[in-house]
Amino acid sequence: MHIVCCVKQVPDTAQVKIDPETNTLIRSGVESICNPYDLVAVEVGVQLAEKHGGKVTVISMGPPQADSALRDCLSLGATEAILLSDRAFAGADTLATSYTLATTISKISSVEPVDLVICGKQAIDGDTAQTGPGIATRLGFNQFTYVAEIINVDSANGTIKIRRETETGSEIIEGKMPALLTVELELAAPRYASLPHLVRALREDVKVWGAANIDSAPERLGLKGSPTSVKVIFAPPVRKGGTVFDGGGDQVKAAGDFLKNFLEKEPALLKEIFTDHKG
Amino acid sequence: MMPKNSKGKEVAEIIPDKCIGCQLCVAECPVGVINMVNGVAKIDAEGCIGCGKCRDVCPVESVLFEKPSKKKPAAPKPVSGPAEKYSGIAVFIEVQNSHGAEVAWELIGKARELAGKLDTRVFGFLLGAGVKPIADEAIAYGCDAVYMMDTDSLRQYLPKVYGKALADMCDYVKPEILLLGATHLGRDLSSVVSTILQTGLTADCTGLDIDPASHLLMMTRPTFGGNIMATILCRDHRPQMSTVRPKVMKMPVKDATRKGEINTLDFKPYVGDLPRILEFIPKTLEGGADITHAPVLVVVGKGACDSRALPLLEELAGMLGGTIACSRAVVETGLLPYTRQVGQTGKTVAPKIYIGVGVSGAVQHLAGIQGSQKIIAINTDRNAPLVQIADYAIIGDYQQIVPELIKGFKSIIKK
Repeated sequence: MHIVCCVKQVPDTAQVKIDPETNTLIRSGVESICNPYDLVAVEVGVQLAEKHGGKVTVISMGPPQADSALRDCLSLGATEAILLSDRAFAGADTLATSYTLATTISKISSVEPVDLVICGKQAIDGDTAQTGPGIATRLGFNQFTYVAEIINVDSANGTIKIRRETETGSEIIEGKMPALLTVELELAAPRYASLPHLVRALREDVKVWGAANIDSAPERLGLKGSPTSVKVIFAPPVRKGGTVFDGGGDQVKAAGDFLKNFLEKEPALLKEIFTDHKG
Repeated sequence: MMPKNSKGKEVAEIIPDKCIGCQLCVAECPVGVINMVNGVAKIDAEGCIGCGKCRDVCPVESVLFEKPSKKKPAAPKPVSGPAEKYSGIAVFIEVQNSHGAEVAWELIGKARELAGKLDTRVFGFLLGAGVKPIADEAIAYGCDAVYMMDTDSLRQYLPKVYGKALADMCDYVKPEILLLGATHLGRDLSSVVSTILQTGLTADCTGLDIDPASHLLMMTRPTFGGNIMATILCRDHRPQMSTVRPKVMKMPVKDATRKGEINTLDFKPYVGDLPRILEFIPKTLEGGADITHAPVLVVVGKGACDSRALPLLEELAGMLGGTIACSRAVVETGLLPYTRQVGQTGKTVAPKIYIGVGVSGAVQHLAGIQGSQKIIAINTDRNAPLVQIADYAIIGDYQQIVPELIKGFKSIIKK
């Protein structure tokens, strides 16, 4: 089996904030990490390759520093890593990103046919969940999003059976490979890298490909290939704290004070809650 | 004074704190001397030719460059070419358990408001099998017309089949805007359709409005885990596509006397091999109580992460018609499953009442609860971040406080 995993280097979003006074980003101390959902994708890919034989190729589009995210993936046991880094890719929205990644996968597949593409459900910086389905649509692959369990991979017949989450439940679905999966966090826990893998991840070459390596149309890459653009950014409305009840150290009193105040201030909300509940 | 390089050339400089890492300048620089360093654009002063193009494209004025712009500030560009042929606002009506999904009605309400500003019509786009009654309902909620494909082939959702059908519908009706609910299905389908139509898609918007000057749809969404809001435009491609989470927009009033046309379009099947859905397992209340739909959430934090505490907290949630959720730390101990996790890597919730019990309120957690109507915090630490933003905070041990609350709410129910 040949499995391609798509990963993204993201800022640790918990640390990115906006200064509400100046409307600028506060970045001091913000680290870049490999998107947590994508690490699950790589772990799943490596497990499948271990079980069925084959290899895992990890690809990422980003600046040269995204190299470190790919090395994290190598330390989990990925076979090969390719970094897509080119000025022509810069400024890409999800449409241009899925074009670049799909074109890359076609290129990889022309040398070693790809059976499965695995992506994280979404990236934690953008949260769009758009790139995976975009890639599948471009490649004409069957797509299975929100995969919670891989039930069976039948490499002889070239089919895969999975369980995926839907809004109202979950479904067991089977389809032909090549296919693209986007995975939930619960599907697997990324392993702790072993020392030999860590050493290998440091030494291994990460290939760097540019626009010229992937037979791409320049007008569909990066900024030029992106229909959407950011008009403005701003800080989200801040929730201001309300009343603090400490009962002067008496906890029972604190609870009582709260209840009294809550009843006075929120009669409509309480009525809604209790009517909803009874209804 | 502008900085100069060693050749004496006045060069542009990027203020790192202002840069949002969008890379527009990297793409724009004619000599290719802007690189991303630690997520921020940096200009190599030696190679800079001082043309100022980076300043012109920067959306956040992070480029220091004092020479006058060669480019006149672009007047809002009138939409050119094919975009003129597109008009009307379409809402995709998702079918859940043989009913129209609530989020579709919410979006029709919003679409009506936007249609007023654009002086245009609202369309419902409906795919399914035996869905005529849902089309009638869509009119009652505010559609001027419903376009429908009603066939057995659309009974189940398959991305390739639905993607082609909805893209065909867009090609036929040519709406300028297409809105979908950001449900599992909506997020999946919207990406397929935007890829087929080669247009822009903005996911999970919390605000939609029309820019009065350009008549473009302004799509506002949280990004960076909810720490930043961004307003996004899709200038030259149509339809302008956006998904919106359930419960973000207000439910419109249903008016059964409203009139509208219902048009049935031909369904052209997808040609090729398709996956087969072998089994569907509906959500059960016990295992997978949906924390995103519960009106009240009692959220277990590290400070209350004790199996002996659960019955007490469940009692509190139960009497308010709510359910139990938790922070990531609690999932990591194995006390509660991942499906109950609130926050950046869990679920975004917007209950009427959020009660955090022993939840300290890490940024990742707070990012997932911003939409809550009222937040109540119970914590021994009055400096905990959740206490700082809570509408009501009760300081003390939950084992003492929660029984008091249960007693209190019981007496209210009796009344």
